[in-house]
Amino acid sequence: MAKLKLASYWAAACGGCDVAILDTHEKILDIAAAADIVFWPIATDFKYADVEAMPDGHIDVTLFHGAVRNSENEHLAHLLRAKSKVLVAFGTCAHLGGIPGLANLFDRKAIFKCVYHDTQSTVNPDGVEPQTKTQMPEGELTLPEFYDTVMPLDHLVEVDYYVPGCPPTPKQIWAVVQAIVSGQLPPKGSVVGASEKTQCDECKLKKNEKKITSFKRIATAQPEHETCYLEQGFLCLGPVTRGGCDTRCQLSGVPCRGCYGPPPGVLDQGAKAVSAIASVIEAKDEAEIGRILAEIPDALRSLNRFGIPASLLRRKTL
Amino acid sequence: MRRISIDPITRLEGHGKIEIFLGDDGSVSNCYFQVPELRGFEKFVEGMPIEEVPRVVSRICGV
Repeated sequence: MAKLKLASYWAAACGGCDVAILDTHEKILDIAAAADIVFWPIATDFKYADVEAMPDGHIDVTLFHGAVRNSENEHLAHLLRAKSKVLVAFGTCAHLGGIPGLANLFDRKAIFKCVYHDTQSTVNPDGVEPQTKTQMPEGELTLPEFYDTVMPLDHLVEVDYYVPGCPPTPKQIWAVVQAIVSGQLPPKGSVVGASEKTQCDECKLKKNEKKITSFKRIATAQPEHETCYLEQGFLCLGPVTRGGCDTRCQLSGVPCRGCYGPPPGVLDQGAKAVSAIASVIEAKDEAEIGRILAEIPDALRSLNRFGIPASLLRRKTL
Repeated sequence: MRRISIDPITRLEGHGKIEIFLGDDGSVSNCYFQVPELRGFEKFVEGMPIEEVPRVVSRICGV
């Protein structure tokens, strides 16, 4: 059998997904034995022009990380879709929009104003902002267009598989690689490298009855680390998050923030979180319910931390 | 004037490109380094509870 041709690309990303691939440690050698890497900016020196020169369908599998937030990301999404037999939305940003998707609570104008004018560390007396085209004496320089709205990969192109996680755990990555190499892939459109259960189903912390009478902040209250955080009144997205990460946050002493995305059958993780919280609040009347809910710290960004672009909300109204 | 584009810059975290302009004699006339990337963390962490900020800004760079 000919060696697989594998690509890995980051759009609006942090590189953590690529590092998670490298965190398979010595198994990276097995990956290299099974596949020729034909494009991987973090680790190899192929250029965009090399990808553009490939015939369509040349790459067997592309692991696409990062959200789509500018025109370069969009171009690469279309380019890699055309060049790849299998396109995988790899990691939460490509799957759901991820942390960069929090920018959908603002627009380009507000972000540019903050980043290029208002921040304490910015010195910009001429008020310069990035331009898509700039004429210099030697020629024209170009930059991608920064969009108002961050998108997950499947808002733009057809995606074959989704690997959730911010980042996906190396153990799950290895399972996905083995599935690819052996051709044992589930039906197109499936979430792979995760479980079919929720975080709570897999969480080893002690669970009793959940009756929340107040929400607490980890900055101002001390949780007990062997008992369910939600029961103790610390917001945890375990009930509405897909399992598969071995509950690494909960075992590290912090509640789940939902990076593995919604569990099977759940359309909108944030909306499901509202529903889940409503079912565990212990209150006598409406006023008390209101008081308890108001204690949820930064509810919008806490209940939709990783998935605003893929949620029903998608973004704040422009 | 000849132009050499290095796009993308590789084997580092993040996105970058370099445009090199060469004069007729082949010597470098000018060179531009560009960062075609912005996500806007500065804006979207504003007002976030302080204990949540490390869990968000750790995604500025995961390398």
